[in-house]
Amino acid sequence: MKKYLTKADIILFIILIALGIASTILVSHGKSTGDKVVITQGGELYGTYSLMEDRSIDIQSDAAHNKDADSVYNTVVIENGKVRMEAASCHNQVCVRHAAISSAGESIICLPNRIVVKIEGNGGGYDAVSK
Amino acid sequence: MQSANNTPQPKRSNHRSSSQTVARIALMASLALIFSYVEAIIPYNPGIPGIKLGIANTVTIIALYKFGWKDAAAVSVIRIVVAGLLFNGLFGMLYSLAGAAVSFAGMVLLKRTKLFSIAGVSMTGGVLHNLGQLLVAAALIEDMRIFFYFPVLLFSGIVSGIAIGIAATLILRALSRS
Repeated sequence: MKKYLTKADIILFIILIALGIASTILVSHGKSTGDKVVITQGGELYGTYSLMEDRSIDIQSDAAHNKDADSVYNTVVIENGKVRMEAASCHNQVCVRHAAISSAGESIICLPNRIVVKIEGNGGGYDAVSK
Repeated sequence: MQSANNTPQPKRSNHRSSSQTVARIALMASLALIFSYVEAIIPYNPGIPGIKLGIANTVTIIALYKFGWKDAAAVSVIRIVVAGLLFNGLFGMLYSLAGAAVSFAGMVLLKRTKLFSIAGVSMTGGVLHNLGQLLVAAALIEDMRIFFYFPVLLFSGIVSGIAIGIAATLILRALSRS
């Protein structure tokens, strides 16, 4: 009867594992660079930023969006592939307390200032795949 | 060793009647179908479609090693079509057929080289099965981004393939003793 394992098995196993590791790296890399942060103000696009670049964005309001624009502000921070609302002038501070977001489709919304921070992938993930 | 590759499959005992073959294939196909059912009722959901143990493949591998590739192919196709009609639906059947076709071709080729053990052949079969399904899924959705699943399916194919291969080895030993 045959042996449990042959030398060729082990070589093949190592090749497959290596392929797996390589594709994991490739996939996770390709996935993260595709994600971008989209900020809208009052339904209009304010700016698009890469999720991979650490930066801080001060969103200044203008008269078109708010009556007292001078005192309205939001600060969005992108850090380590995550986005959070660092500070906001709104009274309820819901957006500031919101957990940092990192995957496509998630969003932080500051309703009083009408700011939406949303993460978009390279076209969005799948909700489900038919079985 | 190279010359061994070119020699044809050893003939199985020549004068088997066709009814015997039909009965044997039918028996193995129903056994595989029961395994499909057992697998379908195991409450195990890893969250990613496509990850499963594939216990029904044990029967295919045993058929492949004991009766040759034609019988194994028949068992596999019958099992998938009937299981598709009973449990998995048409799309499940399509995925399974594609996976099985790729995986079966790979296993037969690997077995012909006579370099690999049953576990090695089965491991390749598991990986190729998942790859075949992924290819069909990519073609159906027309989107290559589904290959995001590839690493997970690759590793799960390796693990389940080895497990199934070891099980098949043990069963084949028991069969040859009796």
